[in-house]
Amino acid sequence: MSGTITVNRHENETSISIKGRFNFEMHSQFRTAYQNEIDGSVNKNRKFVIDLVGTEYIDSSALGMLLLLREEAGANEADIEIINARPEIRKILETANFQRLFKIS
Amino acid sequence: MKILIVDDDRINSTILNRLLSRDGHPVVTAYNGRDGVALFKSERPDLVLMDIRMPLMNGYEAARQIKEASTDRFVPIIFLTAVTDDEGLARCIEAGGDDFLTKPFNRVILQAKISAMERIRQLHAVLRSQKEQLEKHQEGVRREMEVGQHLFSNIVRAGNLLDAPCLNHFSTPMSLFNGDLLVASYTPAGTLHIMLGDFTGHGLSAAVGALPLAELFYGLTAQGFSIGDLAEQINDKLRKVLPTRMFCAACLIEVDHRQKSIMVWNGGLPDVLVADKSGQIVRRIRSGHIPLGVAPMRREDRKVEILEMQEDYRVFLYSDGLTEATDDGGILFGQERLDALFDGQTPPERLFAAILHALNAFRGHALQTDDISLLEVVCARASEEPPGGQSHLPQKDIPPSSWRIAFTFSAQTLRTVDPLPTIINALMNLQAPSGQRERLYTVLAELFSNALDHGLLRLDTRTKETPEGFLRYYAQREERLAALTEGEIEVILTHTPHPDGGELRIRIADSGPGFDPNNVQSFLEGNLHHGGRGIALVRSLCTDLIYHGNANIAEATYRWTRS
Repeated sequence: MSGTITVNRHENETSISIKGRFNFEMHSQFRTAYQNEIDGSVNKNRKFVIDLVGTEYIDSSALGMLLLLREEAGANEADIEIINARPEIRKILETANFQRLFKIS
Repeated sequence: MKILIVDDDRINSTILNRLLSRDGHPVVTAYNGRDGVALFKSERPDLVLMDIRMPLMNGYEAARQIKEASTDRFVPIIFLTAVTDDEGLARCIEAGGDDFLTKPFNRVILQAKISAMERIRQLHAVLRSQKEQLEKHQEGVRREMEVGQHLFSNIVRAGNLLDAPCLNHFSTPMSLFNGDLLVASYTPAGTLHIMLGDFTGHGLSAAVGALPLAELFYGLTAQGFSIGDLAEQINDKLRKVLPTRMFCAACLIEVDHRQKSIMVWNGGLPDVLVADKSGQIVRRIRSGHIPLGVAPMRREDRKVEILEMQEDYRVFLYSDGLTEATDDGGILFGQERLDALFDGQTPPERLFAAILHALNAFRGHALQTDDISLLEVVCARASEEPPGGQSHLPQKDIPPSSWRIAFTFSAQTLRTVDPLPTIINALMNLQAPSGQRERLYTVLAELFSNALDHGLLRLDTRTKETPEGFLRYYAQREERLAALTEGEIEVILTHTPHPDGGELRIRIADSGPGFDPNNVQSFLEGNLHHGGRGIALVRSLCTDLIYHGNANIAEATYRWTRS
């Protein structure tokens, strides 16, 4: 059982919201979600918002997917914000010190 | 499709033969069951038409023997029968028949049955070849897994994880391969390095990353590099070899029983817990770094947490497979349940078993969803030697020869690299007296750190007397080293061969102001008292140790005998 992904596209910003379990089974779904945005993006400075409001669980494969998104969205130039993580998920992100690589709010 | 007709009625047989031949099937005929079986074996037909009542051997028995002889493929048998009662027909199927055809024959029905059997036969052939391919593939995978497991277990056994007296460990993979790598090994100076690495994912893909990691861990530890160096070099390597979405949450621990210190570099693993004799947590070392293999390391990313080692400390290191283990209902074991075991009710020596017991009781029969590792460092046993000694690296024996090497390290060099591994490696490549590496490393390390810490950085060992002072000492050391702009350390190694070994003269001089000659004695005693065995240890290993100048030049003679 894995989660579902919803993509909302605004002018310069793409919001990807993940409901349910964010784990290795989501790999191709997540990748398709952001890749369409990157490929179709004329503007290199596209901002990504990862909304974890409905995310119940996150595993290390999901952290790997976030790193992959960061890499493909321009590595250090990437503008990615992770929002609405519940405390236990926030703790996992902070244990990996992801606040140094992403905006977490 | 080659067809065998077994029928003692020659008229029937001829009619069938003609019908089938007209449709292009090659036909062979037998007139009794026994000949039918023999012909089946020699002609290997694809389908058999079988009469029931025949001389020598009836159709039931012939069908049974034919089925027995054709286990490697599917050969349909169609019984030719005059009976139409249910029982008679059931007996045909029981004997191994696949279908029956009632006499007199209808050509259309015969053709339909034959093509139906042909379809089943082809389906069988496809299934069979797929099964064979799968079996071959499975066998190949099994063989590769065996090789992999062999490599993997040799890696784990290469170090001191299993024989270091101060370690207890538990590790259980969720699949054949463990995505958690737990390794431990002694440095030449006798300090113990431990690493737990947890790769993204599980199984084989996670385990392949373990190979370069373990190789670097053992190699660098044997050369005397610090855990900060290890973290940096492993990070560089993993960044090169791992795909972006894979990384390794890792924790490195250095247990130094001489300096009475424990250093921890935690990048992405759960809190390392330190308990004292009350069985309660006295220190919690949180992850302070990004996991390995994600981003390039900056200088501050090498920073380790230092704590003063107390005799009664027990250090617990574990992967998130422990805290994230679930019960039948998907509830997490959690950090709180783990922390609750350190309530002072469980005696410290029982904590390790209590954690495993609590975990198993909680999980019940729930499926394991991640690799689980747990390791305990019992500080009271940190100074005990493993039964087989520390060194696991084979050393080459080079005949004693005459040579001299000199190094001068400027302040700039000292700020950026630890020169000790380089010195010891140069020495080992030139001479490598077998079995002397640890002792030589200790002598060089002690004399060199005296020159750096006291000669150039002007640190006072007496600072280390109190626990706060202990931390202040290391903070001061880091601060002063970062600010070092002047001064140098010169190391000269001179080797003279002897008939049965050799003599190594070590001269280490620093450009610092030195010490008041009247205080040299107290400086040495201070070092003896607080810096572990320090100078006394060097004296016991060398034939002589003399301080010149203002105690800023140390000269030691080390003799060795060929074993």
